[in-house]
Amino acid sequence: MKSFTKKAKKALIIGLDGVPHSLLNQYMEDGMLPNLKKILSQGFILQPMNASIPDVSSVSWTSFATGVNPGEHGIYGFMDLAPERYSLYFPNSRDVQAPTFWEILGKTSHKSSTLCQKYLKKIDRPYRSIVVNLPHTYPACPIYGILVSGFVAIDLKKAVYPEAAYTYLKSINYSIDVDAERMKESKTEFLKELFGCFEIRKKAIFHFFDNEEWDLFLACITETDRLHHFFFDASMDKTHPDHTSFTHFYTKLDEWIRDLYERFVRRYSDRGWLMILSDHGFAPIKKEVYINTFLEKNGFLALKQEGQFYEKIDEQTKAFTLDPCRIYIHDQSSYPKGKVGRAERGKILEDVKKALTGLKGEDGNGIIHQIFQKEEIYRGPFLNLAPDLVCLPEDGYDLKGSLEKKEVFGHNIFTGMHTWHDAFCMLPESVHISKKPMIEEMADHLLKYFTS
Amino acid sequence: MDHLTKLENKSIYIIREAYYQFKNIALLWSVGKDSTTLLWLCRKAFLGRIPFPIIHIDTSYKFPEMYRFRDERVKEWNLNLLIGRNEEKLNEGMGPGQGSKLDCCNELKTNALKLVIKKYQLKAILLGIRRDEHGIRAKERYFSPRDSQFKWDYENQPAELWDQYQSTVEEEEHFRIHPILHFTELDVWSYVKREGLPIVPLYFSKNGKRFRSIGCAPCCSPIDSNAQTIDEIVEEIRTTKTSERSGRAQDKENIYTMQKLRALGYM
Repeated sequence: MKSFTKKAKKALIIGLDGVPHSLLNQYMEDGMLPNLKKILSQGFILQPMNASIPDVSSVSWTSFATGVNPGEHGIYGFMDLAPERYSLYFPNSRDVQAPTFWEILGKTSHKSSTLCQKYLKKIDRPYRSIVVNLPHTYPACPIYGILVSGFVAIDLKKAVYPEAAYTYLKSINYSIDVDAERMKESKTEFLKELFGCFEIRKKAIFHFFDNEEWDLFLACITETDRLHHFFFDASMDKTHPDHTSFTHFYTKLDEWIRDLYERFVRRYSDRGWLMILSDHGFAPIKKEVYINTFLEKNGFLALKQEGQFYEKIDEQTKAFTLDPCRIYIHDQSSYPKGKVGRAERGKILEDVKKALTGLKGEDGNGIIHQIFQKEEIYRGPFLNLAPDLVCLPEDGYDLKGSLEKKEVFGHNIFTGMHTWHDAFCMLPESVHISKKPMIEEMADHLLKYFTS
Repeated sequence: MDHLTKLENKSIYIIREAYYQFKNIALLWSVGKDSTTLLWLCRKAFLGRIPFPIIHIDTSYKFPEMYRFRDERVKEWNLNLLIGRNEEKLNEGMGPGQGSKLDCCNELKTNALKLVIKKYQLKAILLGIRRDEHGIRAKERYFSPRDSQFKWDYENQPAELWDQYQSTVEEEEHFRIHPILHFTELDVWSYVKREGLPIVPLYFSKNGKRFRSIGCAPCCSPIDSNAQTIDEIVEEIRTTKTSERSGRAQDKENIYTMQKLRALGYM
């Protein structure tokens, strides 16, 4: 009998990209998410959670999927700099240095990590996973199960494993992502496409859910993040012209969660294990803050006219920023044009920190909430890839790494910005979680469930 | 029939078929070795007099050697040359030093070509791309339809089996025709040698460096090489392990990734 229950273990994970804890709470209080509220009352807890640092999807979801911090999985952002040519490159799934939980459960990876070592021997048989639309999983590496990569995924064929799943997705005209460029042309068209994208994603998710064998099912919705980037100012403001569209999306989301959960319960009665979570929060933007321009004005960064992006970095540069606010010291041991020696390094770090602490908004208050040195927050074999400093801003100030701005403050078409402190997780009450967990802790709870 | 003659026959067949179907066509000539080979094949296909115009997209950032080579050939081969330039953006100062290379390529190459196609109402363009050049080009067809926005739906293309080419076109579309798709880099050089084709001198080694692929001067870097003759180039390519376009700044998938990230406010 015991072995029967063991075999029957089924976990469902729903990822909601960029959905803040505070927004969910408010919407539930206002009666706008009746279905989620009902599920929550059936033995779950909803908690605020800290995202990864920096709080961008590629880093946060990778921390979630591997259950380790960036020092161990090696992903620090959507782009990195190749020091020898000052050229940008875009890390993808192949650059993830630690195994994901579906690789650990499926026993398909040769990589190792602290989490993997903890559980590998306890996993009695390979568990089959279906993972749909999780960011930073492109190109799709072979797994035991099905993997459909999420943002940034370029070619659908390379985004799907195995081939049969690709054939199906192609046949329904599956779309990886809404085209955010659309927003520049027409708000209406963009919203139409966003809802359309959600519909086709639901279709694909239900198809795999109903027709495939699986032990772990992970479905991620990324339309929420896109909606928030462009329409977050409409989230609470009932007089905003797009408020109805915004809340309409949440109604649809709430209904979809209900439908998926009902199917889950129907199929596995109460044997299943459910987790719903986001990878970061969102807040309204007051100002975009261009940290490279700030560094330039304070004498830390010198740019030439020639070249694109970071090729412009000149010899006098002492520090520069990559999105969103990863600061690197331009030291002579790593960069061909770097002049900062070992002796100077500590002082420059302190000077940059001091300058940033003094960066004030229009109201005279500080903009930088916290500055971390890499050793304070990252640990693991890939610490060498980490930025020397990482900043977390106060809500409202969206830190950017652009190199083309003349002023430190500015505006763009975006109305929402990512937040670190306001992600959420929803788990069974029986799971013991800390008061304010970090996203990388979640995989441990999942693997504990499968191995207990 | 030897290998190169087979390749040549196939290309000439496609060129003639294209002209028969569309009439209103043009050849896109970058002045590089591939499109110069294509230009030569067109001359052969029509016995020396090409009955359609040759387009050169001039970003104004090409190497001086390329402009010189272009003008010499136009005179020598009596070509009807059309020059495509995005004057508006050039006047605004668009260039590789201004903004990103992505924007620069997009305005000075892609949009300049769109302008020419529109201006001359072209129904089809002959291009000198090769299947072995780049990952995504492996999916190319000889006759490849594009919509007015240049979108290429490479998963929805006519099959090309047993030399059956679908060469008819819907309104609002134009065709891209790739008569030397089946040539490899090595084939091109072997063919250049056999035909005694003139070639831009940048391809030959100077001070231990040569260009393996040429485009705009600010965005191309030479490779280390001592190959000063076509024979030496052929030998070098036969034994090399690095890719032909490794000296070029942009890679397609990176461009798309960059576009997607920028649309969400990164970079």
